[in-house]
Amino acid sequence: MIFMRFKEVALSPDSLIFGTAKYPLKYGYDLEVGRGYVVPEIKYFPRIGKDVRDEYRSITESVLKRAVDLDMRRLQLETELTYLEMGVQNLPGEITQLQKSIIERYAREYGLNVGFRVTVADIRDFGKPKHDESNYMRMMETFESVASNGADVLSIESEGGKELFNYAIIRQDVSGIVASIGQLAALDMGRLWRDIVKIANNKHVIAGGDSACAFANTAMRLAGGKRDNVIAHSLAALVRVMSASRSLIAYEEGAVGPGKDCAYENVFIKAITGYPMSMEGKSAAVAHSSLVGNIIAAACDLWSNEQTENVKLFGGYGPEVFLEMLHYDTKVMNTALETGKGKELKSLFIDSDKYVDPQSYVLAPEVVYTICKTIVKEGDVLSRTVASASEAAAMLLSDSKLALAKNEIRFLEAARIKLEEIYKNTSKVQELLLSYEPKVSKLRIRDYFDS
Amino acid sequence: MDKTDILNSIRDSIVNLDFEKSKEFTKIALQNKIDPQEIILKSIAEGMEIVGRKFEASEYFLSELIVAGEIGKEITQILEPYLKGSEIKKIGKVVIGTVSGDLHDIGKNIVSMMLEASEFKVVDLGADVPVQSFIEAVKNEKPQIVAMSALLTVTMVEMKNVIEALKQAGLRDQVKVIIGGAAVTEEFSKSIGADGYGANAVQGVRLCKGWIT
Repeated sequence: MIFMRFKEVALSPDSLIFGTAKYPLKYGYDLEVGRGYVVPEIKYFPRIGKDVRDEYRSITESVLKRAVDLDMRRLQLETELTYLEMGVQNLPGEITQLQKSIIERYAREYGLNVGFRVTVADIRDFGKPKHDESNYMRMMETFESVASNGADVLSIESEGGKELFNYAIIRQDVSGIVASIGQLAALDMGRLWRDIVKIANNKHVIAGGDSACAFANTAMRLAGGKRDNVIAHSLAALVRVMSASRSLIAYEEGAVGPGKDCAYENVFIKAITGYPMSMEGKSAAVAHSSLVGNIIAAACDLWSNEQTENVKLFGGYGPEVFLEMLHYDTKVMNTALETGKGKELKSLFIDSDKYVDPQSYVLAPEVVYTICKTIVKEGDVLSRTVASASEAAAMLLSDSKLALAKNEIRFLEAARIKLEEIYKNTSKVQELLLSYEPKVSKLRIRDYFDS
Repeated sequence: MDKTDILNSIRDSIVNLDFEKSKEFTKIALQNKIDPQEIILKSIAEGMEIVGRKFEASEYFLSELIVAGEIGKEITQILEPYLKGSEIKKIGKVVIGTVSGDLHDIGKNIVSMMLEASEFKVVDLGADVPVQSFIEAVKNEKPQIVAMSALLTVTMVEMKNVIEALKQAGLRDQVKVIIGGAAVTEEFSKSIGADGYGANAVQGVRLCKGWIT
């Protein structure tokens, strides 16, 4: 795959709608994504202290049985490997194989269209020389193994640049945040996705995409609810916008979607690439709260629960219960599309959330479109990161319907000045990065540039 | 500038979160032979109190409270050589870490910085800390408090292992144990025999201060 820089926005605000992508995908057991309907994507994790193989077996069985009971036609399963599972030799491949054999049986017996995504954990210790090369190799071996054992889609939530980001975000240090996302994360994404795409192509599976979970979701979690006051909610919104340029790199290296559910920046990615995307919102409250539960559904192609533990509930085990919820969520979306009411439902998703918070505001399709135009206009990732955040800050400050608190306005005004300063001097970011090295534990700048 | 102006300028630079100005005025204060203890009391302590009030009034973010704490710490470091042997007193010592198998350290870092800003000596063991490292740190550092964090439900069981290991090493009675993190609840803290639980950083630090003072 040849590196391709996106220079145009594929979808207008009007055509950016749930269920429909410019470039639909087909994989797994004839599952089509972005083809005019939304597909539930169920995600789960085993109970603590239980045998993981037994847990994955029972989760897969219960989820697929529920799908048949509900007369579902299509769904996707996602197994997100944990740090601990990655540590056991051959276990990821074994889990993948045992799940795939169950999926295959259900697809054959009941005609279900099923896709299977496996997400490999980023287990690198960035404080180690060469950013922990041996664990990088282990990650690549795991991608190969899960691809060989039945995964249809490969994904990761990569963490390059996180060590600086973690330092900067709790200080609301805009320069550090920009440097971590627009420079360090970008460099790491390039290398990582070149390798993942190679593996995906060799194994004839789909390179699905990355999530800026370590950045934008960390910021979202820190921002918390409306009464929380840890960091500015506007900062969390800007981090989401900055993350779009970072996550886009996977697709410029050859990934084709569907991007991972927890990448709320996927709205931007879908608008630019036209590829189908997975998203999560209100039905992911089981994993974490957010202020964007409806608006994020406006452009999804797969609709996910984020992650549910395999615990027994009154209505069954967690994953099967959440699959049912996703099923009914997507039924409404798909019925709206079938009956010509898709745009009305999309408007309701947007209007019910847009002015709740800066984080929801930046996910509205017309705002996304303006920001995406800024992204594709710029020539390099750092400039994209800064210019898009600057544009978002300007939009947040200028829309009077968004009732920003005084401290949010104070933050945004200062951030805008800082972003403009950085934009005029992007060549100085490398110098800036070096100034962080003595202060941030585990930060090894040179390893980013050498890899 | 007279003495009051200089002390107020240091205080205000803390309130305005201005690292450079705070250092500049501290140097001016020392050139003018202002007693370092007075700088600590009149500038740093008062500045931190104003920032704390602004945080409580939702005017400032917690992140700004952290930055103010770091400015205060930096000024104190400049003052240290001039304190003529009178050490800057710490109110207590905390050994803190994210438990084994868990790489999430941002919440732990916030608590760590807020403890430092509250005059605790903090021994930060980092993330993915094995049980034995907690035990060694308690033996060597002799803290009053052990603080553990976990974001994941699959790793929070490690907290219980640390508490059990403290018991086996005969160290449990020497320390208070506080736990926190997204995966943890008050009920869980009671079930594993921890002494306390912090739903957020502010609550956690308040609890630690309550144990010491």
